[in-house]
Amino acid sequence: MARNKLRDPWPRARWSASGWVQENRRIGGEAVAFLSMRLGTSLLVWLLVGIALALPAGLYLLQVNLTEMTASWEGRPGLSIYFRHGSGDAALALSDALTARAEVALVVVTSSEQALADFRANTSLGDTLTLLDDNPLPASLRATLVPGAGVADLERLAEFARVAPGADEVVVEKTWLERITILSSVVRRLGMILAVLFGVGAVLVTSTSVRLAIEARLEELRVLKLVGATDRQLRRPFLYFGALYGVGGGLVAAMLISFGLLVIESPLENLLGSYDQTLEISGFGGAFLVTLLTTGGLLGIIGALLAVRQRLRHLRIL
Amino acid sequence: MTIEFHQVSKRFDNGIDGLRDVSATFEEGSMTFLTGHSGAGKSTFLKLLLCLERPTRGQVLVNGVNVTQLKPSRLPHYRRNLGAVFQDHHLLAHRSVFDNVAIPLRVVGMRERDLAKRVRAALSAVGLLERDAMSPGALSTGEQQRVGIARAVASRPKILLADEPTGNLDPGLSRSIMGLFEQFNQVGPTVIVASHDVSLIEAMDHRIIELSNGSILRDEEYAGDRASFESGVESA
Ligand SMILES: Nc1ncnc2c1ncn2[C@@H]1O[C@H](COP(=O)(O)OP(=O)(O)OP(=O)(O)O)[C@@H](O)[C@H]1O
Ligand SMILES: [Mg+2]
Repeated sequence: MARNKLRDPWPRARWSASGWVQENRRIGGEAVAFLSMRLGTSLLVWLLVGIALALPAGLYLLQVNLTEMTASWEGRPGLSIYFRHGSGDAALALSDALTARAEVALVVVTSSEQALADFRANTSLGDTLTLLDDNPLPASLRATLVPGAGVADLERLAEFARVAPGADEVVVEKTWLERITILSSVVRRLGMILAVLFGVGAVLVTSTSVRLAIEARLEELRVLKLVGATDRQLRRPFLYFGALYGVGGGLVAAMLISFGLLVIESPLENLLGSYDQTLEISGFGGAFLVTLLTTGGLLGIIGALLAVRQRLRHLRIL
Repeated sequence: MTIEFHQVSKRFDNGIDGLRDVSATFEEGSMTFLTGHSGAGKSTFLKLLLCLERPTRGQVLVNGVNVTQLKPSRLPHYRRNLGAVFQDHHLLAHRSVFDNVAIPLRVVGMRERDLAKRVRAALSAVGLLERDAMSPGALSTGEQQRVGIARAVASRPKILLADEPTGNLDPGLSRSIMGLFEQFNQVGPTVIVASHDVSLIEAMDHRIIELSNGSILRDEEYAGDRASFESGVESA
C-alpha cells in the first residue's frame, strides 16, 4: 500500500541512557529478589554450576603449577658422567668444556678419592673397601642445566659427553623433567576436555533453571508482550537470572578450589619439603578469580539465551 | 487513530471461519460496540486489530498502515498505542495493583516519578486509588476488572479495545464500567467494546456492529431512536 511508505506512525522509542539505567536497575533488583525468594533452587544451581567450573579451573591451576615446578625444580635435570679408571684429568678437562656451555648451570667434579671418602662416611661398608688394594670408585662429574633448559638440550649435552675422552658411562637424569612435562600436558588436555564438557554442563544447568523461571512467569510475559514489550525487554530479566546463576556458580567454584587447596596444602608441603621445596601455589589470584566469575557469567548468559530463544519464540499472548 | 477493515476474512487452521469478508471504518475518537452471538467473531475481530492473529485475506489499516503486514520487530511499537481489556483481566497475582497498572508505562520507559502520577490518575479514574498496594487477588471481581481497565488506559492509548469487559458482573456494575469506557472515549481514543449484553449496549448512545457467523449482520450509528427498541427488549 502506497500510504505505508509515507511516514512511520509508530517510531521506535528513542534510546536514553538514564532510562536504560533505570530499567536495568529495576530488573536487576527484581532478579535478585526472585533468586533470593527461591533460595533453595538458587543454591542448588550455584552449587551445580560451581562444581562444573571448579573441576576444569582446578586442573588449570594444577597444570600452571606443574609447569612452574619444572622450571624451578631444585633437583634440576642434569648429567652424571662416570670416567674410566685413572681418567681424573679427563674429568677436569670435560668439566671446563661443559662449564663453557650456555645451557649448563653448574659442574661438580668428584675425584675417585673424594668418592671413596664419601662412601666411607656414608656407609658402614667403607671398611670392606680398604681390603682392596686399589680404589675401585671412578671419578665422576655432575652437570646441572640452567632453568628453562629442556629435554632436547639435555640429549645434546649427553651426546657431547659420550664422545669425550675417558668418559665411561653417561647417565641422563631427566626422568623428573620428562614426567612432569608429560603430566602437565596430560593435565592440560584433560582440563580442556573437562572445560568443554563441564562448560556445556553449566550452560545446560542455567538454561534449565532459566526455563523454569520463564514457565513461572509466562502470564507476565504475555501481558508484557500485549502492551508492547520488545523481545529485548522480554529477554532482559532472564539474562539477569543467567548471569546471576553463572557468577554465583563462579563464586562457589572459587570457594571449592580454595577449600581444595586448603585440604591438600599440608600433605603437599610435606612432599615438597622432602625435596627441599617450599609450597607456593601460583595462579590463584585476582586475575584467576575475575576470569572464573566472568566465565561463569558468560556461560550463564548463554544458557539463559538458549532457554529464552526456545521458549519465547512461539509465545502466544492469548 | 482511524481504523479500517477491508474485506477481512480469517479462517483458522481447523477450517472454522472466524471472520468473513468484514469491512468497517472507525473514525478517530469514535466509540463502537461489537456484538453478536457466542462464536460470532467478536474476539477474532479484536485479535486481528491487536495483531494477535493474522487475517487470511484483507487488510487492517490503522492510520493508513496495514498492520497485518508489520514486521515482528515493529509490532511492539504498534501495540504501545493500544490498550486492551479482557474478561479474564490477566492481572499478575504476585504484583501489587500499582505495579500491574504500571506495566505498560515501564515498557515505554517512563520515569518513575511521572509513572507514579499516571498510575494514580488511572486508578482514581476507576475509583481504586486507595487499593494501590493490595494484591489483585484480594480484590472483588468488579474491582479486578477495573484494575484491568486502569492498566489499559494508563498509557493513554490511541485505541482502546475491550473484550467482554463486563462478562460476569452484575448489571449495575456493568453499566458503570461501560460508563468508564464512555468517559475515556471523551478524552480522545478510538474505542471498540465487544459485548453480547445487548440490552446494556443498546441503552447507550453509540454505534453498534452486530456480527453473525463472522459476517456483519447490522452496522448502525446511534440515531437517537433506540429507546423504543430498548423498552421492547426489556419487556421481552
Ligand atoms: N484459535 C482458534 N482456532 C480455531 N478456531 C477458533 C480460534 N479462535 C476462535 N475460533 C473460532 O472462531 C469463531 C469465532 O470465535 P470468537 O472467539 O471470535 O467468537 P466470539 O464472538 O468472541 O464469541 P464469544 O462471545 O463466545 O466470546 C468461533 O467459532 C471459534 O470457535
Ligand atoms: Mg469472545
